[in-house]
Amino acid sequence: MARLLFLSHRLHVCSRALHDTTTTMARLWRCRAALLLLGLFTSPLVSAEHTFENTAIVRTVELGGSFVHVTTTYAVRALEDGSSIYTVALGEDEHKKTSWINAKLKGESVPLHVEHFGLNSNGAYLYTVALPNALKANSSANLVLETVQTHATYPWPQVAAQGGPQYLKYEADLFVLSPYPTAVQRTKIRAPSPQINAYSTPEDMSAFTQDAPVTKSGATLTYGPYNNISANANRDFVKDVQKRISVQYDYPAPVLEVTRLERAAEISHWGANLNIQDNIWLHNAGPALKGQFSRLEFQGQNYHNRIASSTLVSLALHLPPGVRDVYYYDQNGNVSTSRLRTTPSIPKGLKSNTYTLFEMRPRYPVLGQWNYSFTLGWDSSLADYAGYDKESGSYLVGVPVQALVPGAVVNEAEIKIILPEGATDVKFHPPFSAVMNSVSNHVTYLDTKGRPAITLKYEQLTDRHAGMIYVSYKVPFSAHLKKPLAVATALMGLFALAFASKRVDMRIQK
Amino acid sequence: MATKAYTLPTDIPTETVTNIRSLLRIVSLALISAAAISSRLFAVVNFESIIHEFDPWFNYRATRLLAAKGFYAFWNWFDPTAWYPLGRVVGGTIYPGLMATSGVIYNVLHALNLPVDIRNICVLLAPGFSALTAWSTYMFTKELKDESAGLLAAAFIGIVPGYISRSVAGSYDNEAIAIFLLMFTFFCWIKALKLGSAFFGTLAALFYFYMVAAWGGYAFITNMIPLHALTLILMGRFSSRLYVAYSSWYAIGTLASMQVPFVGFQPVRTSEHMAALGVFGLLQIIAFSELVRSHVSSKQFQTLLYASVIGMGVLGFSGIVGLTYKGWIAPWTGRFYSLWDTGYAKKYIPIIASVSEHQPTAWPSFFMDLHILIFLFPAGVVMCFSKLRDEHIFVILYSVVASYFAGVMVRLMLTLTPVVCVSAAVALSSLLDTYIDPTEPVLEEGESAESEATPQDPTKKVKKTTPPSNSGSFGEYLARFTGNTDKPRGIFGVSNRLIVLFNTFGMLVFFVIHCTWVTSNAYSSPSVVLASTGADGNAHIIDDFREAYYWLRQNTPEDTVVMSWWDYGYQIAGMANRTTLVDNNTWNNTHIATVGKAMSSPEEVAYPILRKHDVDYVLIIFGGLIGYSGDDINKFLWMVRIAQGVWPDEIQEPNYFTKTGEYRVDDRASETMKNSLMYKMSYYRFNELFGGQQAVDRVRGQQMPKEGPVLDYIEEAFTSENWIVRIYQVRKEDLLGRDLKVANAFEQGRKRKKTKPPVRRRALA
Repeated sequence: MARLLFLSHRLHVCSRALHDTTTTMARLWRCRAALLLLGLFTSPLVSAEHTFENTAIVRTVELGGSFVHVTTTYAVRALEDGSSIYTVALGEDEHKKTSWINAKLKGESVPLHVEHFGLNSNGAYLYTVALPNALKANSSANLVLETVQTHATYPWPQVAAQGGPQYLKYEADLFVLSPYPTAVQRTKIRAPSPQINAYSTPEDMSAFTQDAPVTKSGATLTYGPYNNISANANRDFVKDVQKRISVQYDYPAPVLEVTRLERAAEISHWGANLNIQDNIWLHNAGPALKGQFSRLEFQGQNYHNRIASSTLVSLALHLPPGVRDVYYYDQNGNVSTSRLRTTPSIPKGLKSNTYTLFEMRPRYPVLGQWNYSFTLGWDSSLADYAGYDKESGSYLVGVPVQALVPGAVVNEAEIKIILPEGATDVKFHPPFSAVMNSVSNHVTYLDTKGRPAITLKYEQLTDRHAGMIYVSYKVPFSAHLKKPLAVATALMGLFALAFASKRVDMRIQK
Repeated sequence: MATKAYTLPTDIPTETVTNIRSLLRIVSLALISAAAISSRLFAVVNFESIIHEFDPWFNYRATRLLAAKGFYAFWNWFDPTAWYPLGRVVGGTIYPGLMATSGVIYNVLHALNLPVDIRNICVLLAPGFSALTAWSTYMFTKELKDESAGLLAAAFIGIVPGYISRSVAGSYDNEAIAIFLLMFTFFCWIKALKLGSAFFGTLAALFYFYMVAAWGGYAFITNMIPLHALTLILMGRFSSRLYVAYSSWYAIGTLASMQVPFVGFQPVRTSEHMAALGVFGLLQIIAFSELVRSHVSSKQFQTLLYASVIGMGVLGFSGIVGLTYKGWIAPWTGRFYSLWDTGYAKKYIPIIASVSEHQPTAWPSFFMDLHILIFLFPAGVVMCFSKLRDEHIFVILYSVVASYFAGVMVRLMLTLTPVVCVSAAVALSSLLDTYIDPTEPVLEEGESAESEATPQDPTKKVKKTTPPSNSGSFGEYLARFTGNTDKPRGIFGVSNRLIVLFNTFGMLVFFVIHCTWVTSNAYSSPSVVLASTGADGNAHIIDDFREAYYWLRQNTPEDTVVMSWWDYGYQIAGMANRTTLVDNNTWNNTHIATVGKAMSSPEEVAYPILRKHDVDYVLIIFGGLIGYSGDDINKFLWMVRIAQGVWPDEIQEPNYFTKTGEYRVDDRASETMKNSLMYKMSYYRFNELFGGQQAVDRVRGQQMPKEGPVLDYIEEAFTSENWIVRIYQVRKEDLLGRDLKVANAFEQGRKRKKTKPPVRRRALA
């Protein structure tokens, strides 16, 4: 046991060094080889030694479009003194879909440290959760594990008529896996509306329950309670006992996906401006259109306010308060069909929920499986995002990561932060670790040498991936003067040229 | 001692005056440039920084390629997405000057760390060059008269609508830079002729080369300069200056122009260029004879020489004629013929006649495009006669030729505009010179009483003045006209001067107002985006073109082939980035006729044509819903005519008219019309939009039949918000090998059977 703790600790330290914060672990790959070895080595130990047992597991699945929010509450009882590392297991499919993971004790808001343990040869992915206080034998705790799954639903049937309803299908494993025995377990699946078309009923459940294996009330399906489940994070259970369940439900909004997001944030000290520009490739992941698009029907549906739920007609985007000069265009130029309601910026330090509302309409209604790419950008006062630390003489700027399109997963994101020319001592602190980051040189207007630019790449960003990338840097006074000097030199050169050409006699013969 | 109407300060040193004059000139030119550029920005302010119309979209696309991939890729560009399945060798079939100019500007700016978007360079190129045009017009007019006339001419050309119509921001076409090149080449020619300078001749040749690389209208220069030279020779004004200027221009200019792949050997093989060659030969002969004459004094020898000169001239001319007969020299092209015979194009080349800018000019458009200048223009030309130096002859010739061409083709209004501005500036400047000059005429004793009796009559005054010291060609000319050359001429008093000056000023103000109004209202619409004003005065943007093109771009496979009438080919390639069958580069008449035939045939005839050309989508423009008159139904007769030109047995224009010879789309439309693919696509499900009410086509103002057309072989794929753009997908062959019409009928029949019984069953239960 001591050895296990030691190893876990090592892992812990290793990843601490790499990542400042604790939230996304799913897309971690850098230390994977090492972790994999360690995981292979240590996992039998984990599943073999029952330091905990689960008195109850309740899993709540909130069905959605692009995102499915899963909240699993583990009522945990320690079997030994000093148990502080609890292991959570996700099935293979679940692991693949999970893009955001977070654990905390019930009723508290401080997130616990979650560590991915690598692939378990037993067909489950293990994560360790470090409890804040080691538990004594027989004491219990309630651990809440929140995950967000992306690409977990798909349209079913895959095609829908232009005015037709949109049904999505969600599939999941019936049993929550755990390396510890579980006394009772239940899964609640909540659909956005009571209209659940179909759901699967697991068979041969006599070993776990005497009642109906699944009950439906309103928009909620309840699988369970199932009793006396052995430690099931192993291959035998996954192979023989585990079952797939599926739900087909009506989803009343378009399922949006941002296939690619390029955000460029340019900091300008001379303009006291922070410009943020997003290039967004939007895709409607709803059912494909059956037949062809008919404008006539669309106009009729529009008139009667009965546009199919899968059709994206307009989007309300929340921009930060105090933005100026918002622009919205695509490859063919300006898109004139949009409206903006601005709010003034909020003084620093004050919390406020105000935002600038940008109502945008794509050029055409985006039906199922159609694409629409566009560019949206705005300026805002640098003072709203930046601070100056007099002691160290460095600036601190926060650039938001969060994707603009509500309810849409971002498949890949590239965030580029362009600092002022001549910035030195550049440090950046992303709210969650990036897949890749790099520093490059970006040359733009009136630059002599170019500006340092930080590029961060992310994958599968969810609605929970909101936060600021904090960048600190120093700009020496001489760097500030570079631009006016360059412009002045160029203009002086021109004048000198004009002066010379006017006064120097170039004639060969007089 | 002549009296002065008003006193001028005399104690200013000459140097100060010169300096102030030069400063004022620079400031005025800068202001004129600013006015020229800013008045062209209406299009950007009212709409956005967008490429306008049709051809500019191709130029923009080519420039983007040039900027992205470099000059060699552009030079060797074969575009497989145009003229599908033939493709187009773009590098060898365009005038690359415009794109090269933008490419150079783009690269220079990027080298200076100014990463300007290539689109903005393209949009703002025409306004930028209009400032240069103003400057070159200033230089040109300066040679004719003086700086003040030059400034006036620059101001005129800067804001005159006739030029603005082709050079607003976003109008990224060859004409954008060509007018500057035209004026500057002419300036260099005049200067070379005046000085006998090989340097300016070479400069003229270089700018001529630039012009050849930039615009097909270079033929105008190619014929204007020889015409001028020939006229001078015929007037007995041959000089070594003319010889040097013309020879250096022709030799270098022709060799240079042959470097443009699209021109190639045309300068020695086509009739359009023969005049220049002929005059070149003539000049050599004359120069030679002059040389010989200066050395030989024998009269007999001279006679012999004259005979041989004439013989050589005749021989050369007949040689050219012979070569033309033999086919070594191509005869004039159809486009050229249509300039002489305005009915020619309509008979033989309907494609050229179908373009609206090739129509003869309507009278009001002269006033609309030139305003007061059109009245000042003849005055200026007449004044050129009074001096009649070599450059004045040039302006007179230019005016005559350009006036004719502008009358034949709306498009050539553009070449007339510069000379109108120059002549008008000369006239107006003479007028101002005469009336601003403070010198009063010296009166003879007897006449003073008479003049004092009618001091308010300026017309009479003019007759009785002495020639003013430094200006007065106007007065002189007027005097010559009236025959009173011996009487003193001039203007008395300040008030007389003020009356005329005030009127002139008022005219100029009206000119400016008119130019601004025309520019903002008539010439600044991008035509890709339409603007309308709602009942509440709110501007409403109709953006159907970009909507539909963007839909194509985003939601169809990249190798999709789109068929449309050729007008929209460049736009589809530029905005939707899809393959087209035909486009605005109308080089293959048969291909266009094929599209015309598909559009004007019934569905079952059109379908095999569509399938054979791999057409996936058919795009048409339909304005019937919102009253957009430039739609395909209105262009339809041209499609029919062009198709008829190739397939006279299958397509006949009269079949598309009603029995009474009307072009209708309602109940009374002919069967051929109603069955044509174009008609069906335009009105497919149109009457359903009116919800049982009578459907009305707002362009034609006709009521549509109750039963709309039925489509079997193609299906509606996308229609834009205001129904302007309608896109149809061509259906694939039926899987069971049936005719699609039969398959459709079968499917609909089955559907009816299937849907009815359940209702009955429910009723029973």
